[in-house]
Amino acid sequence: MKEIMRRRTRIAAALCLLAAGVMALVIPAMAAPPEKYLHVHVDDPTDGTKVNVDVPLSMAEKILPAINNQDLHGGKVWIRHADMSGVDLRAVLDAVKTAPDSEFVTVKDNESDVRVAKANGNILIHVTDKRNKDQKVDVTVPMKIVDALVNTEKNDELDIAAALRALSDAGDILLVTVQDEGQKVRIWVDSKNTQD
Amino acid sequence: MILLAKIALGMAGAAVAGAGVLCSEGLVQVKVIEKQPQGVHIRMFAPAMLAPMAMHLAPRQSLAEATREIHPYLPVIRATMESLRQADDVVFVQVEGPGEHVKVQKLGGSIIVDVDDSDATVHVTAPIRAIASTMEQLAAADSNSL
Repeated sequence: MKEIMRRRTRIAAALCLLAAGVMALVIPAMAAPPEKYLHVHVDDPTDGTKVNVDVPLSMAEKILPAINNQDLHGGKVWIRHADMSGVDLRAVLDAVKTAPDSEFVTVKDNESDVRVAKANGNILIHVTDKRNKDQKVDVTVPMKIVDALVNTEKNDELDIAAALRALSDAGDILLVTVQDEGQKVRIWVDSKNTQD
Repeated sequence: MILLAKIALGMAGAAVAGAGVLCSEGLVQVKVIEKQPQGVHIRMFAPAMLAPMAMHLAPRQSLAEATREIHPYLPVIRATMESLRQADDVVFVQVEGPGEHVKVQKLGGSIIVDVDDSDATVHVTAPIRAIASTMEQLAAADSNSL
């Protein structure tokens, strides 16, 4: 009888260990995805000013739809004076989305270089001011965000809330860098709540 | 003698319990120090629970204008308070410049604002729950007065 009890205890202990092991594996997988933060960093070495802004994207997602002011309603912004000149923005974006990675626009003149390309599911915009070669702007926008932005019922509105959700679901990404003689600006998204 | 001791103990216990209840929502802390020779020095600590209570006791007519002004922004304020409550501790804004320092952060259920420049040093700590309760009292005052 004692032997049977011992065996049962051992089996119970083994089952508990197994259950603990399974839970240890499953719980992290079931945990909520990490919070994403939108970071803005402005560095002005000319006067030594540094500005850091860190906003949890989930916070922006919740607050934005509550704002009803002028052209912003329910997380959507109405582009009041958007003159699309008969261009179907959605059709253009759809064409870009289905197109292979390539350079779509290259403008080179005496004043600036402008390059618009698609690579790895992102739209890349690169602008260099030739008059002052220190002035550079780089913008990277994942296609998913552009999709979410323009996926609205009306042509003259952009869904900022949907774009924020898409941004939240996207991985860590450097969105914008601006560099000129004095200032450097970086805007990016990652899972850290600091800029360190 | 023992009876007096028991009464004193009871009163002390009630005072401690009362202080505990008053401070249960945290403390509002305001510190303003002007850097001029005869500048203002203000240091204030108050239980955060007093703010919504004061709103509750304030004359409705005195609050009418403020409540009317705040009314259009109530959905945004509520959404902000709710998301602030749920957010992890984070430094929202930090500005470092020559002779100036600004920091706005959420830390342990409170919003903390620190400003330090050539004119003054300002520090404000306000528990988010107390801010939300105060705003709700304002909203209620609005609905009662209209």
